[in-house]
Amino acid sequence: MDCCGGIDEHEDDCTDVKVKDSIDQSTVDAAKALESENYSAGFVTDIEMDMAPKGLSEDTIRFISAKKEEPEWLLEWRLAAYKRWLTMEEPTWAMVNYPTINYQDYYYYAAPKSGAKYESIDDVPKEILETYEKLGIPLREAEVLLGVEGAAETAATARETPRVAVDAVFDSVSVATTFRKELEKAGVIFMSISEAVHEYPNLVKKYLGTVVPQSDNFFATLNSAVFSDGTFVYVPKGVRCPMELSTYFRMNAENTGQFERTLIIADEGAYVSYLEGCTAPMRDENQLHAAVVELVALEDAEIKYSTVQNWWPGDENGKGGIYNFVTKRGDCRGDRSKISWTQVETGSAVTWKYPSCILRGDDSVGEFYSIAVTNGRQQADTGTKMIHLGKRTRSRIISKGISAGKSNNTYRGLVSINRKADNARNFTQCDSLLIGDRCGAHTVPYVENRRADAQLEHEATTTKLSDDQMFYVRQRGIGEEEAVALLVNGFVREVLQELPMEFAVEAQSLLKVSLEGSVG
Amino acid sequence: MTTALRDMIANPTTAELDLVARYGMQPADSRRERLFEAFSRTGLPHRRLEAWKWTDFKVALQGLDRPSTPPAQDPIPHAGALVFRFSSNGYFPPDHIPDGLNVFEKDEAQALGAAEDVPLGALAASLSGGKARPATLLLEVTSKELPRLHFQFSGEGEANFARVVVVVRSDMALTVSESHLGGAGLTSSVIEFGLQKGSTVNRAVYQRGTSEETIASTALVHLDADSHYTQTSLAFGAKVARLETRVTHQEPSAKATLNAAYLVGKDLHADFTTHVRHGANSCVTRQLTKGAVLNGGTGVFQGKFFVPRTAGQYTDADMQHKALLLEDGAVVFAKPELEIYADDVECAHGNTSGALDDDQLFYMRQRGLPEKTARALLTQAFVAEAFAEAGALEEVLRAEAEAWLAAV
Repeated sequence: MDCCGGIDEHEDDCTDVKVKDSIDQSTVDAAKALESENYSAGFVTDIEMDMAPKGLSEDTIRFISAKKEEPEWLLEWRLAAYKRWLTMEEPTWAMVNYPTINYQDYYYYAAPKSGAKYESIDDVPKEILETYEKLGIPLREAEVLLGVEGAAETAATARETPRVAVDAVFDSVSVATTFRKELEKAGVIFMSISEAVHEYPNLVKKYLGTVVPQSDNFFATLNSAVFSDGTFVYVPKGVRCPMELSTYFRMNAENTGQFERTLIIADEGAYVSYLEGCTAPMRDENQLHAAVVELVALEDAEIKYSTVQNWWPGDENGKGGIYNFVTKRGDCRGDRSKISWTQVETGSAVTWKYPSCILRGDDSVGEFYSIAVTNGRQQADTGTKMIHLGKRTRSRIISKGISAGKSNNTYRGLVSINRKADNARNFTQCDSLLIGDRCGAHTVPYVENRRADAQLEHEATTTKLSDDQMFYVRQRGIGEEEAVALLVNGFVREVLQELPMEFAVEAQSLLKVSLEGSVG
Repeated sequence: MTTALRDMIANPTTAELDLVARYGMQPADSRRERLFEAFSRTGLPHRRLEAWKWTDFKVALQGLDRPSTPPAQDPIPHAGALVFRFSSNGYFPPDHIPDGLNVFEKDEAQALGAAEDVPLGALAASLSGGKARPATLLLEVTSKELPRLHFQFSGEGEANFARVVVVVRSDMALTVSESHLGGAGLTSSVIEFGLQKGSTVNRAVYQRGTSEETIASTALVHLDADSHYTQTSLAFGAKVARLETRVTHQEPSAKATLNAAYLVGKDLHADFTTHVRHGANSCVTRQLTKGAVLNGGTGVFQGKFFVPRTAGQYTDADMQHKALLLEDGAVVFAKPELEIYADDVECAHGNTSGALDDDQLFYMRQRGLPEKTARALLTQAFVAEAFAEAGALEEVLRAEAEAWLAAV
């Protein structure tokens, strides 16, 4: 489609992207389908909010801490982080551009006025329940149908009925956590981190900040100072968590920042699969999201962490959207532990995110599976770090980037093999697809090898679909459009198959529009 | 002026102050000033600069003129070649310049495009000259039949800087070789190749130094339509050595082949950095870098393909880096990077590092070869692949590599 008749001078006025001939119309439509106007989670919930005064100062931090009735040590911890943050500079190395952020222009705390945590699901304001229902997260149904009235009495029966326990975080507070009682039967602690600070202070104190230290980086330090809510999970020794755990983050209030902090600990031999979803209303201002996620896997433990990130990406002109500056890191502290990150990234105006694994325990395993789709004027700079410290540690990185519109999509990753990491292994594959000629796809891998017996492989391509593949599929009698869909779904399948079933459906419906018949 | 420039380098080291002083002794020349200014933006490049994070000249370079170790022997044959020697003792051009080669020895510096991107190249261009050496040596090639040109850069105990510009006229051809032999605290040269339509250049680069020297070679290559540039490099490293090549495909259907091998022993550091801009349609780049590193040695590979919007359509580019860590304590850093804004392109890169393949070793051993021989053969074959396009110098480079491997 040639929207400007070949004249360049009005390039920015074009609404349609010029796409080369080999891409059929459905591709263009599919890419457009992910554009902002089709963002279904963009509604605003009208509810009275309790906000901290605008801006950031020691007083803001004291305000947040007081609201949460935190112990003195945590307030001190926050204030120390804030002092450190004041001396730090915002990083500029990522391939993203955005106007200078005025950190005094945000609200650092926003909670529904009627209170944070509700005793029973009946007390949750109906606006909030409706919000989650609209997003496909029916808190009430989940609670009533599966959690409270009946079903699984034991962990064993729970395993047989696949369900998801949800912690719903609305702006700065957790409003509901489902299935808590049932999880307690298995010994699993699943609650908001604000509650955990009161109920399990020793566990929180023992692990908080041990994977992502207070002073780790600009955004993590900001989070340490002002973090509001998030999820705390502890899976005791030898327990396989009987259901998927999930947190659904919703940013609603205007000009707010969401700074959640998630801490997941899998004790020796434990297993947990955790899902995270995120959406936000369509607003003209940029909202700030600077989260920290810390995972700790002890001996023989496994944590599977999946994210479907669908924050509001801003409109087609780049107005509004979430600035997503997230520090996620897992520490394979014990021998034979495993941490697996899977992410489907379709939202946010700017994404700056590198879920990482520190492979400290011998024979520990780190995995990173990622699909990042950018559209409109989105910018994503995302990837992973695999730090091999222990013997025979293994890591695998599969990253697929799809760029459309006027967006830029960068894979940035580090594989580092320490001197003591005997026989470490890494395999990295990062592929990029470009839809249209106004977007960009970039690959910036860093590979540091200090061991002769390590085996590191990295491959990357930026390409359109190969004619040979098309020919092969078509000569089997499959129509052209269907063949393209098949091959493109094959392109991302390695990542999708890592998602838990409940999430794979959501991810696929997000991606379907962008992939069917796409790519030329 | 000197004071002002000195102020441009934040917290200058002794070596940097020495460079500022040397600049102050040069005749006034606005182009020279511009070049030194470009260098001064960063001073000696260091690890806090993204492009130099693994190769730190600021820390490595203690004094410009030390050491007294003689420069390495030049293994590239001088017989039959037109040899231009740039030594701190002077400049020695060939006795006879044949038809088809025009030589201009300039006392003035010459401007360098994108000087800020190549701080050590800008430094070399601003400090070249003096002692009867040309500040800029300009060469124009108007023949297909010239003998090989050979440039030898060595320090002889004193920091040495050189600047060469080579223009190859349309449909002409050139074979060229270079030796970067160290022999001083710092030797740095910058060479530019302009390949006009349909011309070809085959360039071989040899670098060797000791753990007391720093060596920088910067090459800027501009390719016009249908031209073909082939480069084969062999580096043994120095305290730090950086061989940087920046290629611009500036007209359609040009081709660049960039092959390299680094063989790095104890206390040595070799860095291959390349940046290829596919600034015109249907250009091709093939890049293969092989490395073998011993205990205490560091090999660095940084490659980047940049494909701009529209202009870079139909790019076909492939980058491969493969490294062997021959012993524990060897270090290999790699950053194979793609930055792509055009949608109808084929760009691929691959990166591997590790030990020899056990299956291959097993195969050879069960044929009755002792392990040592099997390892040597496999390593030789692994490295030699990088020399396949070096033409007449393939055997010379291969023999140098084999001699090094045999001594391991």
